[in-house]
Amino acid sequence: MELENINQTEKQFDEESSSVDSLETLESLRVKFLGKKGFITDIMAKFREVPVELKKEFGQKVNALKNKIETKIEEIKTSLAQKAIDAEIKNTKMFDYSLPVDTKTGSLHPRTIIQKQVCDIFKNMGFVVEDGNEVETEYNNFESVNVPKNHPARDMQDTFWLNNGELLKTQTSAAQNRILRTYGPVCKVIFPGRVFRNEELDARHENTFFQLEGVVVGKNVTVANLIYFEKAMLKSLFKKDIEVRLRPGFFPFTEPSYELDAKCPFCGGTGCHTCGNSGWLELCPCGMIHPNVLRMAGIDPDEYNGFAFGLGFDRLVMIRTKLDDIRYLNSNNLKIMSQFKTNM
Amino acid sequence: MNISINWINDYVDLSGIEVDELVKRFNLSTAEIEGVEFKGKNINNVVFGKILSVDNMPQSDHLHLLKVDVGDEVLQIVCGAPNVYEGMVTAVCKVGGSVCAGKIKATKLAGVESFGMCCAEAELGIGSDDDGIMDIKEPVKIGEDIKNVWPIDDVVLEIDNKSLTNRPDLWGHYGIAREFAAIFGRELRKMPVVDLNEYSSLKPISVNILTDNCFRYSSISVENINEKKSTREMAIRLNYAGMRDINLLADLTNYVMLDLGLPMHAFDNKLVTGINVIESDGNMTMLTLEGEEHKLPKNAMIIADKDKTPVAIAGIKGGLKSGITDETNSVLFEAAVFDCENVRKTSRSIGLLTDASQRYEKSLDPELTPVALARILYLLMKIDENVKVTACLSDCYKKHYDKVQIELDPKFISKIVGTDISKEFIIKTLTALEFGVKEQNGILVVDVPSFRATKDVSIKEDLVEEVARLYGYDNIQPLPLAFDCEPQKLIKSIEYEYDTKLLLAEKYNANEIHSYLWNYEDFNKINKIESKSYVSLLDSSNAGQSGIRSELIPTMLRCLDENKNYYEDVRVFEIGRVVSGLDDENNCIENKKLSILFASQNKSELELFTEMKTAIFDIASNVMGVQLMLEEGDTVGYLHPVNSFRIKSHTADYGYLGVIHPEVKKSIDKRFNVVALEIDFEKLANSVKQTKKIKNVSKYQAVDVDFNILCNEDMKYIELTNILSKFKSKILSGYSLVDIYQNKETLGNKKSVTLRFNLSSFDHTLSGEEIEKFRNDFVEFLTKNQLEIRL
Repeated sequence: MELENINQTEKQFDEESSSVDSLETLESLRVKFLGKKGFITDIMAKFREVPVELKKEFGQKVNALKNKIETKIEEIKTSLAQKAIDAEIKNTKMFDYSLPVDTKTGSLHPRTIIQKQVCDIFKNMGFVVEDGNEVETEYNNFESVNVPKNHPARDMQDTFWLNNGELLKTQTSAAQNRILRTYGPVCKVIFPGRVFRNEELDARHENTFFQLEGVVVGKNVTVANLIYFEKAMLKSLFKKDIEVRLRPGFFPFTEPSYELDAKCPFCGGTGCHTCGNSGWLELCPCGMIHPNVLRMAGIDPDEYNGFAFGLGFDRLVMIRTKLDDIRYLNSNNLKIMSQFKTNM
Repeated sequence: MNISINWINDYVDLSGIEVDELVKRFNLSTAEIEGVEFKGKNINNVVFGKILSVDNMPQSDHLHLLKVDVGDEVLQIVCGAPNVYEGMVTAVCKVGGSVCAGKIKATKLAGVESFGMCCAEAELGIGSDDDGIMDIKEPVKIGEDIKNVWPIDDVVLEIDNKSLTNRPDLWGHYGIAREFAAIFGRELRKMPVVDLNEYSSLKPISVNILTDNCFRYSSISVENINEKKSTREMAIRLNYAGMRDINLLADLTNYVMLDLGLPMHAFDNKLVTGINVIESDGNMTMLTLEGEEHKLPKNAMIIADKDKTPVAIAGIKGGLKSGITDETNSVLFEAAVFDCENVRKTSRSIGLLTDASQRYEKSLDPELTPVALARILYLLMKIDENVKVTACLSDCYKKHYDKVQIELDPKFISKIVGTDISKEFIIKTLTALEFGVKEQNGILVVDVPSFRATKDVSIKEDLVEEVARLYGYDNIQPLPLAFDCEPQKLIKSIEYEYDTKLLLAEKYNANEIHSYLWNYEDFNKINKIESKSYVSLLDSSNAGQSGIRSELIPTMLRCLDENKNYYEDVRVFEIGRVVSGLDDENNCIENKKLSILFASQNKSELELFTEMKTAIFDIASNVMGVQLMLEEGDTVGYLHPVNSFRIKSHTADYGYLGVIHPEVKKSIDKRFNVVALEIDFEKLANSVKQTKKIKNVSKYQAVDVDFNILCNEDMKYIELTNILSKFKSKILSGYSLVDIYQNKETLGNKKSVTLRFNLSSFDHTLSGEEIEKFRNDFVEFLTKNQLEIRL
């Protein structure tokens, strides 16, 4: 009779559970069968009335039914959760992923971007990055770097002289004397900066432009070191091996002096717009520091020597930015300048 | 400068060397070759022809119908040249041949067939005359190709003048030939000259040098010159070298200049007697050969005749009156060396740059003057053997350059170059370049030749260059530097500069600009911006832009002005230098400054002000570790008298920030609200970094309590916080501003400031009673201070 009751209950559960369609009905089903006042409790309450010989079987069956109900309820719960998520997904409205987004940021000046890249290369090579004034004395700009008194560069035509006798520096070399004095006879320093020449402006000429210059001073520094160094530097700059050639040049602050050309990294030397069809880019004036320059900085040229080099910085900026007019670099033209963002 | 390889071959045999190789080695060893021109390449099938008949053509007023004998046939040619005549010998390009302008085809002119073209010099690229076809007087064989007779085929190298600035010896073919000889190890031939001693028995011309700027003046006098025209070869060479052929005497002086690099001049003896080299008193003028009148500045050197009448501007240009003409048959040849700086200054001052002045500027070798005279005489006598020298060499040598002798340890060269270069190579190279080399106890005693000793070579490092460039830089094995790997110091203001710019660009959407160092005085004036200049340029190409800027904001405002029609928002910044004063020695005090400008048609001045305050506090705090504050105080005239403030830290004043003055705003563009700041960037960057202490956090739960404090709407936040700073509580760890609420209807003249108080204890969880006590104490404190709580 009691066993009959168990089967009856099981049958009823099977029936009712098959129609459960929500967490609410599932909960009432659970209460109905497993709750404190539910069927299983009721059946268990009758245990005492079960004849002894059936007690074992009765107990097993009740437990089995209880387990089955519990398992089934868990199963239904899981499947209901799944259905709910499926329904949610089904009802989700797709975004218009094609709408434009605003990635607006400000911009750095292209010189700033390239200066950062170049300076990082030099810092990795162990250089100090220095800086210099824009107004300089005649001594620093000319005398101290061995530019003779009557050199044409000192003429009014090329130099912006100021009414207090000073001048706008015509070359980053104006900082050499101070830097050599500050950093002493063994040093590696670069000093980018703005320089000024009293020139007519056109698409290729500016009166205000950027240069980058560096010095390496030590004992027994050689031309062979200079070539090695320039190659390493250009390799970092253009991210590939660059063939270079040295030609004789003339600068008062170096002796011997060179023009260092890089095999054009854009055409590989066959000739293109960037290199003016010559296959070579004239990028780095350089040379062994003139003994007079060392002497004027308090360094004994018999004991120490070194090399100095320049980098046509604005040339590099023009090449990288593909701008066709150097005057943009000093313009307030935000239509151009705002395009550069913070990286190139 | 153009260099003819045919000409070079007079002095060094370059046969067997490809042009590419010549160019490459010269580039690497001496100077830059910018271009190579193959002359005569486009001149083909041009022969000597004789015009047999000239007939007018009824169809045309200027064309003639010619019958021209070209050796193997007689051609019918229609020709437009005005100078044709029967019996004329000329150059004829046959059908299928070519001239500079291109191929010649059989064609019809004015309806008549024409088979070939009679050529002018210019059409063949061998002369300057293009007024008519060539009228060939020298004996030639009719029908012979002109290239068999005239040296038309040549290679011309265009050398970059800039790369010769320091090499006065390379401004003529002989100097270039010397380089080629040294580069390729070939023999340099002597230049043929006459022996001037043959004329030493003659009387010299009287020459007086009345200036210190003339180093040497040599001259010689020649008469009975009857030839008027240069040889064809000389004319072609002059043209290939970029000059025009004019007449024999003018051509000779130019030819010797292109030969030796020393300019020469010829005066007509009928017009010039006796020479005085003088300096201008500042009032002299000169009508030059071109027919232009030049006022000569003080100290400009002048060649004058015996009456001190100017006849030439020394080293620059001859005078029209004393110049040679087609009638001249007696001349005085001048070969002189003048001070380079004096010539340069005069040339710049009168705006006359000539082939001569260009060379004198380079410091020419005074030893060359007799050589030039001996050379011109040699060339003249070859062309006209009947000429007669009438005055011997008159030679005033006022100023000698010091002889330069350098002692060189051959090991020094290897030491500097970084590769082993043998003593033999050094001696061979220097000798080839005409340096004198003697060996004494292993040391080389080197005599620098006079043509390299005027400024170019003076120390042993110069000899390193001579040897290394001929050794070939491509033969040097690159070697890494041997250096310690000590970390290098970073300079704060430089490191912070980039970080600051990046922050402004990325977080505050501002655009970096670079602007000029000078003020735009007109712009400032129109817009009522007063900005001082402590110094100004002596010579500025643009009026009103000579004052050096002392501030950046005016530059920023100009940028706004230039962009105002294209944008609703302009946000720009610059880190740039200014001159902010003069020191005791009258030298500039320079500062690196940062300026930012935010302008908007949509945002209020307060919004812009708050953004900018955020930006600069962000930079100072997060890039440089400096806590800033704004303070009331004087700023600048073009900022708002009320809403502009000093930017300070507890220890220093860095600059100012503010809304622009309403007057300036109205003048630039009233649609834009504008806020700008200017700070001394280096000062801020070099400020002592305030190391931030990391606050300990209580392990026990903290409680936030908000209070709405009612205060007068004019009360500054700092006034409120000054009051609150007097309130003490053990459990108060800090407070922050949440909101400020203003509403005329509900609050009248008051505003409600919502502050969030953070309460906590390090040793226990706060009890309800403690929090309640805090509330009561705080309300009591506020009441005491005439403040109230809005509930």
